[in-house]
Amino acid sequence: MTSDTDRRTAEERFREVFAHLGAVTAYARRRGSRDAEGIAAEAMSIAWRRLADVPRDEPLPWLYATARNLILAERRAVSRTAPAAALEPSYPAPELNDLDPQLGRALCSLGPTDREALLLVAWEDLAPTQAARALGLNPTAFRVRLLRARRRLRAALDEERRPAPLVQIDVEGT
Amino acid sequence: MTDQTLDRLSAANPFPAGTSVDADALFDRIVLTSPDRRLASTPRRQRRTALVLVTAVIACGLLASAAYGISTLLGDVIGGPTVKAEYLKAQKQLTLPPGYTWPRFHWPQHTVTSRGAGGGFAVGADQGAWECYWVRAIHAGDVAAGRRAHHALDDLLTNHAVVAPAGASENWAPPNAEDTPLQVFADDGGYQYKQRMYADAAAGKPQRLEQSCRVNGPGS
Repeated sequence: MTSDTDRRTAEERFREVFAHLGAVTAYARRRGSRDAEGIAAEAMSIAWRRLADVPRDEPLPWLYATARNLILAERRAVSRTAPAAALEPSYPAPELNDLDPQLGRALCSLGPTDREALLLVAWEDLAPTQAARALGLNPTAFRVRLLRARRRLRAALDEERRPAPLVQIDVEGT
Repeated sequence: MTDQTLDRLSAANPFPAGTSVDADALFDRIVLTSPDRRLASTPRRQRRTALVLVTAVIACGLLASAAYGISTLLGDVIGGPTVKAEYLKAQKQLTLPPGYTWPRFHWPQHTVTSRGAGGGFAVGADQGAWECYWVRAIHAGDVAAGRRAHHALDDLLTNHAVVAPAGASENWAPPNAEDTPLQVFADDGGYQYKQRMYADAAAGKPQRLEQSCRVNGPGS
């Protein structure tokens, strides 16, 4: 990168990527990052330094994958100071504080990959092919995983709705 | 998941998209740093690769087209025109049996061979013709024609055949091939086989001569 023309071209291209700053920030927040804006800014810096790797047509899945790695690094840093903290091995847990408790519990009952697949579609509004790219899966494998995740979530929600069994107490007559 | 469940999950999205940071300032800060070098280097690398490829293709083309010419410049390697000239020259030095004509000569384009090959082809054609002439004479009971054929074939073996030195390459050419048409035999007993064949035929055992006529004679 030597000429002004090259730099201007790169900046124009990066501006299209940078337009997703708000979405990346929200992603980091939804995945429970302590510094969502810092994560988004770092993801954008990485995108600028590695602009040739960022898909031109759909940068968002690449940005989400980068942000996810940064969030996991953030969690690891936290775990060094608080070793007892529960960590997700591959995907950050969502922010559940403001969620309907029933839905929160159902989401928590899913495996991390299933949950991330669902949330990328439901919260980040990605098409299945984009979400597949964000997870590094091929689209067919992602669709299968998404279908299973949907079934598991539905089953978990059904389980939540089922009333608690009645306890019958036999009391001997007096 | 039913649509209702999906809607419920989507509606439960805890944070809307957006950021409270000064996006313009962040953008300016990021682009102040060095961008991805590959963005600039890629086109140059591609141009360089393309240049190398084009050069390689041109070089291959030149080499391929020059191969024929280069090979004909080398002393013992000749191309089609020279082979044909040798073949025609040999026809004037050799004699076909009565009723036989020289076979038409086909030589693949851009193909080379050793010097003297044209003469060798002529000797081979002449030999095949005389062998068949002899077979016909035997079958017709024409003793004089048979003797004539035997004499011609012995003459070919004596004056127009040479055995390559043991271990010589496939391209070995005799030193005097330009002056006299010569058929080159490998040092594997082929020459001696011909001698025995003619002796047998003269002794009334023409089976191998008949077989050789079928295999090597005109029109075979």
